[in-house]
Amino acid sequence: MAPLRSTRPRLLSAAALVLGATLALSACSSSSSGGGESSGAAKVSKTSSSSQYRGTVLSKHFDKPDLVLNDTSGQPYDLKARTAGRTVLLFFGYTSCPDVCPTTMGDIGVAMAKLTPEQRQKIDIVFVSTDPERDTPQVLRTWLDSMGKDFVGLTGDLAKVKAAAKPLGIMVEDPVVAANGSVTSTHGAQVLAFLPGDDKAHLLYMAGTTTDTYRHDLELLAQGVAV
Amino acid sequence: MSRGFRRSALIGAGLATVLAAGTAVVACQSSGGSAAPKLSVADPYIPLPATPGGMGAGYLTVRNDGGADQLVKVTSPGAGSVTMHRSTEQTMEEVGALEVPAHGSLNLARNGNHLMIMDWSKQPALGDELELDLEFAKAGTVVVKVPVKPLTYRPGS
Repeated sequence: MAPLRSTRPRLLSAAALVLGATLALSACSSSSSGGGESSGAAKVSKTSSSSQYRGTVLSKHFDKPDLVLNDTSGQPYDLKARTAGRTVLLFFGYTSCPDVCPTTMGDIGVAMAKLTPEQRQKIDIVFVSTDPERDTPQVLRTWLDSMGKDFVGLTGDLAKVKAAAKPLGIMVEDPVVAANGSVTSTHGAQVLAFLPGDDKAHLLYMAGTTTDTYRHDLELLAQGVAV
Repeated sequence: MSRGFRRSALIGAGLATVLAAGTAVVACQSSGGSAAPKLSVADPYIPLPATPGGMGAGYLTVRNDGGADQLVKVTSPGAGSVTMHRSTEQTMEEVGALEVPAHGSLNLARNGNHLMIMDWSKQPALGDELELDLEFAKAGTVVVKVPVKPLTYRPGS
């Protein structure tokens, strides 16, 4: 037994060397790739080890915003009233966003499609447009239909959208057009999950959250598992 | 006996790893200047736009077995506008060039660097291929045929 134990430190140091080598290599190859994904992935790690959920458990429970906009049929939609006592996933974005918005909503759509109809019925997916000028109810409906026919799309006064997003820590700003015509859009890419018990946000999902994570957590949410 | 052998083998492996890492770092530092880039493109794809015929994204990996280069422009005979963008947690901004590091790779992937494709000459459908002409500062133009995949496709899935 004793000789075996004595090899352990060597094994460990060999492992450490391998790890060091891997780090050196990856530092070399990823030096200029932006790193948006990796920083997002790092933030996905949950903060509470006691939770069954894979999303980030929020220590501050945000109120559901008091927001009345038009839905995709052009009718007024009171977010608080219409979703009271229901589980809600809320995301702010815009349809002429080729990368983060369709990726996030598409991955949620795939996860929702894997739930049973009974589970799906308990969850509202709400997308709020940060580009109401271009995102008319019809544009929004067509776009959302690619990801979920029953997803709720809201559009209207951008000032109201900004006011609703700010207390949630979600940044929404007017697009900035540079002299060369390039556009910088600012909109927080995080998804918040509001629980039916208190209508407050308890979970956060950063951009880059996988379909598996969404499916895992949506099933727990549909079952009413405590965060 | 056999334990002693295993132990020295382990130490040997560890030493070899250190040597290999040292070599890689040296290669990385020394070949950025004058060496010619050796580029290849892997896993290119365009997710089907959520709005039919609407704004699309393009993703691919540029592998480089040579010296550093830059992706400076992308055009397509099948789309009026292809621009390079970078997403972060809060913003999406256009970029003028993307670095292809020496003996490394440039990754255009979801939620990071990506191409924005607009003004399609034909509404893209699943199975279509769009030609992208990738213009590099040193290596010149690399032409790739990029397949249109489902909205939520990931390479390897």
